[in-house]
Amino acid sequence: MKSEILYPGAFPMVRVDLAAGEHIKAESGAMVACSPTIDIESKMEGGLLGALSRKFLTGEKFFFQTLRASRGPGEALLAPTVPGEIVILELDGVNEYMVQKDGFLAGADTIVIESKMQSLSRGLLGGEGFFILKISGKGTLVLNSFGAIHKIELKPDQEYIVDNSHLVAWSTTTSYNIEKATSGWVASFTSGEGFVCRFRGPGLVYIQSRNPGSFGAWIRQFIPVSE
Amino acid sequence: MTSNALCFGDEFPAAGAPCSVQVDGDGLTVTFKSEGGDGAREVVPFSALTLSAGGLDHDHLVVKWTSAQGERTLYLKSPDVIRAFRETVPDHLGLPFAQAAERVRQVRHRRRLVWGLVGGVILATVLGLWSGADLLVELAVSRIPVEWEQKLGESAYRDFLTHQEVMKDGPAVTALGEMTQRLTEQIPNNPYKFEVAVVKSDVVNAFALPGGYVVVFTGLMKKAESGEEVAGVLSHELNHVLQRHGLERIVKSLGLLTVVAIVLGDQQGLVGMMKQLGVELLTLKFGREQETEADLTGLQLLQRAKIDPSGMIRFFERLSEKDEGRMEWLSTHPMSTARAERLKAEFAALPKKSPEPFTFDWKQVQASLGSQPVAVP
Ligand SMILES: [Zn+2]
Repeated sequence: MKSEILYPGAFPMVRVDLAAGEHIKAESGAMVACSPTIDIESKMEGGLLGALSRKFLTGEKFFFQTLRASRGPGEALLAPTVPGEIVILELDGVNEYMVQKDGFLAGADTIVIESKMQSLSRGLLGGEGFFILKISGKGTLVLNSFGAIHKIELKPDQEYIVDNSHLVAWSTTTSYNIEKATSGWVASFTSGEGFVCRFRGPGLVYIQSRNPGSFGAWIRQFIPVSE
Repeated sequence: MTSNALCFGDEFPAAGAPCSVQVDGDGLTVTFKSEGGDGAREVVPFSALTLSAGGLDHDHLVVKWTSAQGERTLYLKSPDVIRAFRETVPDHLGLPFAQAAERVRQVRHRRRLVWGLVGGVILATVLGLWSGADLLVELAVSRIPVEWEQKLGESAYRDFLTHQEVMKDGPAVTALGEMTQRLTEQIPNNPYKFEVAVVKSDVVNAFALPGGYVVVFTGLMKKAESGEEVAGVLSHELNHVLQRHGLERIVKSLGLLTVVAIVLGDQQGLVGMMKQLGVELLTLKFGREQETEADLTGLQLLQRAKIDPSGMIRFFERLSEKDEGRMEWLSTHPMSTARAERLKAEFAALPKKSPEPFTFDWKQVQASLGSQPVAVP
């Protein structure tokens, strides 16, 4: 899998070159265009309710597609739903990342994606839901964000506080606690749930420069209440 | 050599430098990756190390020491290295090592316990639902705000009406408006804004959607011999709404999923899910207890509105007679003579009130329906 970011900035796409027989995982709906040699396999076993219950109960990744170059080499163009930056990470087999599920765009078939159940308090308060993706293995990982992606580098025991709805991905060598936001942070929460994550290094934390929830709330004020 | 650990320190990248750790009798050998093979190597005696548990899930072994280059922190997860550590580590490190390992175990154990507990509660809830513990359903239903119920019912209602011929005005609409007005005036603290549509169809039926959306077919109005009979059906339907029967059925049929969604507070998702099921709302069958409840509360409402409840009873009696043939109201409202009997008994027990007649003439209302072309469903 070779990948290149096209049109870097707010409205990027990523071009992925696949060798014959190679396959990658992509977020369902990420496909924009592809060579005719590429097949898309997306299964939503058990219908809508089955998929929903699996989403709720097991965190199964029913939102993935497999793109397979079954009839020779080819390329695919992938794009996220929301405007925002794309980053490509090369996983070295030792570094592991937790990725909130909207942050995953695509990954080589050599990387391992697990849906992980969070601890109850993190699931309830963290805002990423009860299931997040744990990504390990060796190979290319493509992440997307809402807004620009900013990388925070933490030294051992160095701390940093992040508004939880801005989280995209973080190394498993970091640890974090959920804390109630102090009054200064509340401005960025329109939902009224003021929680932040206090990260502790070492490791990397990728954050997005825009908050999807706040943006949604901002948009909502322009939408007439009734038709 | 493949990397099995990450080393952090001032000159390393923030994500850590992949390295390979080997444990032998005296300490650690850390070999850093470099282009074209193995690079720098550091040998650290056990005596220089401090150990702890760290990382997101406390499942990394964190090894710290001070080298000539500065502070070093090693994050290890590989079970092989951790085992080698445990086997060769000298006594002075044995205690902290055991403590670190114990902490990892504890965190995992606690997490399993918490999720086990949550799973148990959910399972108990599901089993409760399946064994018909209506209390839990009611509990879940009571947590759903009226606005969502309205949103849900409204989308199904509008969807349904787009495929139907709705009467905008005329004596039938006026008559139903009067009935609705008289009934709803008698509902204390009514959170619903009832909307009643008259749909041209020979179907002898009426139904109510969650949130206060009621549809009455002209077929039913033609079959009724008085305004009081229609008002009886209307009162019954209004009470399905007031008792939130539709919502109870949805929660009951979706069971687990809905309960989980409500318990977890993901109510946004619930609305989306119920929208998908909006069509199913129209074919929703109420249970026997719900019918009885709607009958009895319907009867009381009629009484309060001073509409003669014997109309309702008469209509039910006629419906349960065989020679009336197949009537659609029966398909969504399991009818029995016992139901009419029960209403009779209940009515007899109520204090007598002198009913006030409607202002419209029912024969004229029916005549206005008969003169119009009737759409076949
Ligand atoms: Zn009924």
